[in-house]
Amino acid sequence: MGTLTRRNLLKISLAAGAAASAEPLLAPRRLDAQGKRGGILRVRGYDPPHFDPHQTLNFKTNTTLSFVHSKLVRHKVGVAPGTFTVEPDLAERWEELDDTTVVFYLRRGVRWHNKPPVNGRELTAEDVKFTFDRFLTEPTNPLKFMLDPVDRVEVVDRYAVRFRLKEPFVWLVNMLANPTGTWIVAREGVEKYGDLKKPESAIGTGPFTLERYDPNVKTIFRRNPTYFRSGEPWVDGVDWLVMEDAAAGLAAYRTGQLDCGNWHQWAVRQQDLESLKKSQPQLMYRDWVSNVTQGIYMRTDKPPFNDVRVRRAISHAIDRQAIIESVYVKGEPTPAIGRGLTDWSPRVDQLGPGAKYYRHDPKEARRLLAEAGFPNGLKTQLTATPGYGIDLVDAVQMAQRQLKESGIDAELKLQEYGAYVGTTFLGKYEGMAMGPFSIAWEPHTALYGMYSPEQPRNSSHVADARMVSMLKEQMRTKDLEARRKIIFDIQRHAAEQQYYVYLYSVGVTGSWRPYVKNYVPNSSFDFGNRSAALWLDR
Amino acid sequence: MRKYVLRRLLVASASLVIASLGVFSLPRLIPGDAVQLMLDERAYGKDLDDLRAKLGLDRPIYVQYFDWAGRVVRGQLGESLWTKRPVIEELARRLPVSLELGLLALCFSISIALPVGIVAAVRQDSFADYITRSLAILGLSVPGFWIATLAVLLPAIWWGWSPPIQFTEFSVDLWAHVSQFILPAAILGLASAAAIMRLTRAMLLDVLRQDYVRTAWAKGVGERCVVLKHSLKNALIPVVTVLGIQVAQILGGTVIFETIFGLPGMGRFLFDAINQRDYPVIQGINLLIVSVVVVMNLTVDAFYAFLDPRIRY
Amino acid sequence: MANGVETLVSPSAHRRIRRRTAIGAPGLRALWRFCCKKPLGALGGAIVLAMILMAVLAPWITRYSYDETIRGARMKPPGAQFWMGTDNLGRDMWSRVVYGARISVTVGFGAVLIAQALAACIGITSGYFGGRFDLCVQRIVDAWQSFPFLVVILSIMAVLGPGLVNVTAALGVVGAANASRVIRGTTISVVQNAYIESARALGAGHLRIMIRHILPNVAATIIVLATIGLGAFILAESALSFLGFGVPPPYPSWGGMLSGSGRAFFLDAPWIAIYPGLAISMAVFGFNMLGDALRDVLDPRLRGAGGRVR
Repeated sequence: MGTLTRRNLLKISLAAGAAASAEPLLAPRRLDAQGKRGGILRVRGYDPPHFDPHQTLNFKTNTTLSFVHSKLVRHKVGVAPGTFTVEPDLAERWEELDDTTVVFYLRRGVRWHNKPPVNGRELTAEDVKFTFDRFLTEPTNPLKFMLDPVDRVEVVDRYAVRFRLKEPFVWLVNMLANPTGTWIVAREGVEKYGDLKKPESAIGTGPFTLERYDPNVKTIFRRNPTYFRSGEPWVDGVDWLVMEDAAAGLAAYRTGQLDCGNWHQWAVRQQDLESLKKSQPQLMYRDWVSNVTQGIYMRTDKPPFNDVRVRRAISHAIDRQAIIESVYVKGEPTPAIGRGLTDWSPRVDQLGPGAKYYRHDPKEARRLLAEAGFPNGLKTQLTATPGYGIDLVDAVQMAQRQLKESGIDAELKLQEYGAYVGTTFLGKYEGMAMGPFSIAWEPHTALYGMYSPEQPRNSSHVADARMVSMLKEQMRTKDLEARRKIIFDIQRHAAEQQYYVYLYSVGVTGSWRPYVKNYVPNSSFDFGNRSAALWLDR
Repeated sequence: MRKYVLRRLLVASASLVIASLGVFSLPRLIPGDAVQLMLDERAYGKDLDDLRAKLGLDRPIYVQYFDWAGRVVRGQLGESLWTKRPVIEELARRLPVSLELGLLALCFSISIALPVGIVAAVRQDSFADYITRSLAILGLSVPGFWIATLAVLLPAIWWGWSPPIQFTEFSVDLWAHVSQFILPAAILGLASAAAIMRLTRAMLLDVLRQDYVRTAWAKGVGERCVVLKHSLKNALIPVVTVLGIQVAQILGGTVIFETIFGLPGMGRFLFDAINQRDYPVIQGINLLIVSVVVVMNLTVDAFYAFLDPRIRY
Repeated sequence: MANGVETLVSPSAHRRIRRRTAIGAPGLRALWRFCCKKPLGALGGAIVLAMILMAVLAPWITRYSYDETIRGARMKPPGAQFWMGTDNLGRDMWSRVVYGARISVTVGFGAVLIAQALAACIGITSGYFGGRFDLCVQRIVDAWQSFPFLVVILSIMAVLGPGLVNVTAALGVVGAANASRVIRGTTISVVQNAYIESARALGAGHLRIMIRHILPNVAATIIVLATIGLGAFILAESALSFLGFGVPPPYPSWGGMLSGSGRAFFLDAPWIAIYPGLAISMAVFGFNMLGDALRDVLDPRLRGAGGRVR
């Protein structure tokens, strides 16, 4: 460290850059490539509030379950971050018989984990039916909306299930691939334990078995020897470590106690990146953009925000680039769908007439306000929560300051996370609020939730008939290109109307030690499948 | 004395009831209950009511309270609303961790604070007094989380060493188990050492000016004897009080150190429980802490009688 | 100096200071004597005074507002334009540290005032009356003390929303329980003294005895507790900031700066952490040193005792 000259430093940072840029070439490697067996992967994990996938949409539960469970279909592993291609998992293939009937044909010979009460019996169509019956009927399943169009699930034979829909729903397969709540579970677990909240009941067909759960400390997964993908998982196990503190996590990653980055998504925080690259040039890095949209929402059902000019003024008032650079270091201004979902998110300059409202222009903002009847500006409030971390609090402060410069005097109100989720996020607030919207693996969920008048996630209280009809239309548009056009149109309309002032998607830098091979990060909860595909070459 | 202790134990249950009532109702006043948090952002009105009914949270608070109190009397603390795990089991796992951390920190702080405090008092306004006091107050004046942050980050950068992030059980490796407590306990002990040292010094100074001490001086008793035998006992009364309190606070208040050093103690447990509105867990932890405080206070009072012969019961 | 003393000591002790340090030359001489005898205390007093001046004069000694994000000035190291550098949002650290003094002074003194007032009332009455009254009050204090302070503070924040006043009130209320126990302990041993008995024999009322005879004798304890408290509350606020429940932005509290961007950017921009951290340490150091010295000077048993023991 001490003998670093300027030239060495340059060389080292160049090398780091080279490593990062060469990496994508290796990315699309075939997953069944011969890997190296053995070793324990030690990574940052989460402490799930409980283990029942049908009682929560908490990412901590779902990321943890991704090791244990499989789904009918999954997102392809090893592709570029931000792409979520659907591929077979438990289902070998699927067939659309008509607009409202889809049949899934199951892989044969898949065995449950050899744990009581399931004891390694074979997975059958009955299990799939049981899972989705429970998914649809569990009264407190907050994820039910995902499969709202599903009428019922029927067993065709031992290895085939039929989904009957109430209405055409082109997103069905994508929904089943989303790593939230769609894990296939066994009947015996539910029968024995009443529900699936206990760790003992986390029995699946996934790449790892749950060996041990220490609340608040770690979950230990062991290799499932009977996993249906041959060779996988390469590692003997995964230590899924709870690590809430960024400084302690960074120290652990620096000193080799972790194999991948200590922050969310196994990334490292942008704040730590520069010094880490300098002192640990051998580490691997990969940048991508998050698929979460952050922004400002407001009571569009009430004055003054029912006036589109006021909403546009807000958008003009915010300097998105300045917030990105100051707070998040990396990121991109975004439309309704996070820029990280590359296939479905248009660039801001593709937004048509609405694109101009993304320009930082306090003068225009004041003009619009005056036109709307607020020549002296207006007073309101801006609610946020520190529950998402200090970055958001910093960003909100900047936004508040920028709004003030354009004549919108918003009093900052911080709410404890629980209170925020219980009130503001559900639309019970006054004035404006700021925070992240939902994560997107396909565009439907986020848009449908935010713009359908009856949805609780419609935090801005939007009631726009044109929006609703476009949303309905895309749900039955089979042709991918035509569907993409509607989705883009929805986002163009959203940009013009500014019901939600979409701000940015932040940049993420994944990092891992060089001996972690065949690992490609992605912004999904499916850490289990990514861990199964990688191997350690120490 | 025995009658006194018995009577105290009896009335101590009053504290328990008062505290449990408070802890029962306070978290329930906060907007956003456990049910809303469980269903997160996708909460439909009917689902919320269903889940509340299922968890028994739809009943009036006093009914819930008596139901809970009745079960506590029968030795049941209920189970977590979230994980469905029995609260008592969780407490049994976490209490030792917090106790270990707390006791180590306390040992650490007493072994520094008492001698230094005595020296500072006896050599009041001397160079030694200034130095020890300045150092003590420096120790007191840096936020604990900051020392902990530096203690974790700097060695990682300078020497590539950081404290273990994986908690090791007592049964797995005794040395690894104890050694993971040393750093957090030392940092935790530092702050209370400074406080205890200052209190010892202040109280000892107070006592050293009492008439009976002057009499002892006048009789020609040696310094060591005057300080250690005649004065220290009396000076320690408030110090013991503070010590008793520290134990209780350590049990519930070490969330920062547990977070940074990855120790599965009660502080983090309580913090999460409050954030998740996990009422049975909050109540269970509180019950435990109140019990500990009651016992500590009893001990402290008994100590008073021992230390100050003028106090009789 | 006077400013610091006024708020630090109890009313009766204050009267004594005034009596001794009458206005004018004798007062200055007394101050000089204090400085000579208690150099560390004087240093502490100077730090406290500087802090209070900083808080009062904040708008006049800063060039920028504490929440002004200066374009193109992100994470600038300390230099001529920005004495203490700028933070990750491009805000002048000097302005933030100076305005932070206001927040910390308010939180510290506010919380101490609430805590000591409550504690003195409870501790003295409980210790003085003793018996059944003491028994009942102490049960409530037991409960209060054992109440995990996180529950109280988070509950207050969640119900009322985070805010400067709410943080102060929460800290004060939580701090009072412990202090009241110590004060009660001291009161009990004071009550045993013969002069209380004789005051009672002379027909003094309870209130008079408590205020005239007990309060001055427990004042030393109160002062020690208050000074420990002042520093402790400033520290407690920073610990709460770490947990996300401190004084909320845009108020620039030292604890918030240190635990927030200070911690996050420590490796790249250490000055964001160092200056607020220094401010906290200096303040706590100053309060404690001043408090120690004041205690030595103000102790009623010291009067006429001829100074040093040895």
